[in-house]
Amino acid sequence: MGIEQEGTGAETPLAALYHRALPQVYGYLLPRCGSAVLAEDLTAETFMAAVAAARRDCPPELTVAWLVGVARHKLVDHWRRTDLERRRLGGIVSGAEPADDPWEAQLDIAAAHAALSRLSAYQRAALTLRYLDGLPVAEVAQELGRSLHATETLLVRARAALRRVYEEGEGRDA
Amino acid sequence: MTPDPLEALRLPIMPVEPRPEFTASLLRRLRGERAPVSGRGATVRYFVSDLDAAVAFYCDDLGFDEELRPSPSFAMLYHGDLRLLLSVPAAAHALPDGTLPDPGGWNRIVVEVPDLGAAVEALSARGVRFRHEIVTAVGVRQALLEDPSGNPVELFEPLAGYHERAPRTGNE
Repeated sequence: MGIEQEGTGAETPLAALYHRALPQVYGYLLPRCGSAVLAEDLTAETFMAAVAAARRDCPPELTVAWLVGVARHKLVDHWRRTDLERRRLGGIVSGAEPADDPWEAQLDIAAAHAALSRLSAYQRAALTLRYLDGLPVAEVAQELGRSLHATETLLVRARAALRRVYEEGEGRDA
Repeated sequence: MTPDPLEALRLPIMPVEPRPEFTASLLRRLRGERAPVSGRGATVRYFVSDLDAAVAFYCDDLGFDEELRPSPSFAMLYHGDLRLLLSVPAAAHALPDGTLPDPGGWNRIVVEVPDLGAAVEALSARGVRFRHEIVTAVGVRQALLEDPSGNPVELFEPLAGYHERAPRTGNE
């Protein structure tokens, strides 16, 4: 019971897709996770979810884009769990920050990515979906399971937090 | 309106080939195949409160090897064929009502040592806690100690009449 059709020995659509889709899914996850161990876990979860989906009565059309969409869900789920864990451990940092203007300084992309990895899980999730993935705010809200208004607020605070971390990083290097 | 500088963070998907071992093992999982069993030992998970202390104890005092420590809450150690996973209890291990697992209890891994007396003496000298010192049972002498988080570990030395299944031959 896997990606070969039972009894026929013929490969299913997922098997045919596997070698082409794997580098895309892993390539999507790796820079967003920042950890190869985590990227492998989420890649495996993504493909196992595809196996489960293919067994449903109305299976989705399995494409690279569909798999990357599942990978995005898995990443958001991971950040949710991480966030929950931090809350349970009492490590909540207040996110209340005033709204800020767009930065005037030229953004050092690598430093900004590094700063991103130091934000809280939800802030990181919101900024990743909005900016790295380029999703419109409404879709970010849908992925995170939050209202549009709450997502807009989250994005404002996340941007402020990113700016603070980014500028701290700059100060340290100077 | 000034363009949003964060738009520059946009990250297109660049394909990356994972490790070949990962590619192969995931394909096996997708095909519903089990990992090859022959030649694999058992895996046991212990919950520990202090990962650094636990890794130091198992590696320095009991001769385990550290294989992986990818995060501050997880390590994978080996002792021969035995794979020991050490986890700091976290949300991922919680029951639906939020209860987290605790170190401790009485079930334990059992580790063979060639000279139990010498092992107990050396470990006592290093300050390892013992639940009981050496006792003689059927076919073995054994002692029960605790790791720094309070998980029991049993040490034993085979005596006359000791039994275990002979090693299997065939493809490993």
